[in-house]
Amino acid sequence: MSELVRIVEKKPIPSEATMLIGLPDVGLVGLIATSYLISELDLEEIAYMDSDLLPPVVVLHEGLPHAPLRIYGNKNFIAVISELAISARALHTVMRTLVDWGQTKKVKMIVSMGGIPIENRQVITEPKVYGAASSKELLDMLGKKELSILNEGYMVGPQALAMRYSAEKKISAIALLAQSFYNYPDPEAAAMTLKELSKITEIKIDVSKLLEQGEEIRLKARDIMKRTQQEMTHMKKSQEYDLPLYV
Amino acid sequence: MYERRRKRSIFDLMSEYMEEFEALADELMESTFAERPSWNTESCCLEPLCNVFVTPTEVVVTADLPNTDHKTLKVEALSEDLIEITAKMKRKMRFDDFGITHREGEFSSLRCQTRIPVPVDTKRMKISFKRGILEIRFPRKRGYEIKVE
Repeated sequence: MSELVRIVEKKPIPSEATMLIGLPDVGLVGLIATSYLISELDLEEIAYMDSDLLPPVVVLHEGLPHAPLRIYGNKNFIAVISELAISARALHTVMRTLVDWGQTKKVKMIVSMGGIPIENRQVITEPKVYGAASSKELLDMLGKKELSILNEGYMVGPQALAMRYSAEKKISAIALLAQSFYNYPDPEAAAMTLKELSKITEIKIDVSKLLEQGEEIRLKARDIMKRTQQEMTHMKKSQEYDLPLYV
Repeated sequence: MYERRRKRSIFDLMSEYMEEFEALADELMESTFAERPSWNTESCCLEPLCNVFVTPTEVVVTADLPNTDHKTLKVEALSEDLIEITAKMKRKMRFDDFGITHREGEFSSLRCQTRIPVPVDTKRMKISFKRGILEIRFPRKRGYEIKVE
């Protein structure tokens, strides 16, 4: 584990759990989906990340201080969220540390949730969700569960690194990416991601409340979206629009 | 000495200039972009997220306007290169709704101003409002054609 970043465990960490990652990114899809899941499953905070690479920020909830990047869990799931946009400079170290830590906890699988930006999102009623996987076997599994596969293209950001470092460590990793707005919070895309998540895990969540609260979430998420947009510019997130070269 | 001169080739200099330029752009972005609150208690307004894209033929301004009624939507050209977008909220929000108890204030509208970076024809703008996203398309003003000989 990197010396620049440490994960402070507050409670016993479950072994062989499924690790879900929802960090701020395109449309805040992963963050909204994972936060809703934490609330619906009533997961408790079990650990947090401490690092000099992250801004000197503490988040107050009900008067008590919390680290912005926190880890929640129960005996089956570990869920990682950040209430702070993670800088492009810190992202590699943060993701490597999370994957390394997951390996020490013998996680069964790492599932990152996020968005794929599309230009005409406002005319799409039901955003489509695509899956990417760290191995051929997992891709076949996604196919059997009738998930659309992200065949070619670039992935940039937290889910890209989660996938890369997991593959290095031979940890099963999946990314679920919903069509979404690039720089506007997208609760509908988050809801679709959670629906697809239920096909590959035992998590069954009613997303109706998330959809009902959609407009309120969009207003509440303006500031973190704005700061995330700045970081996405730094990490050249727009590269996801690029067409790859295959000769 | 010769070695040192060779190392700072035109490409090195360009790369250094680019790095400086990027650092300056970052500074500019940070100073204009994020370092002010996204709310104003005097005008009872929340600032919506807003973006501007320039294409070869158009300038496209979009704004995220959730919890608003499209009938109250107003787009006003304050000058040749500055527009203001306002919309009344269907349900007023207070700081309490954001979980904030150390500030007081109520918000009834969304409002933002944005600069149009290149000359446009504001009279021919087209407006659409779908899924709470406002989209304004301004045709760019044409300059003059350079004849190819």
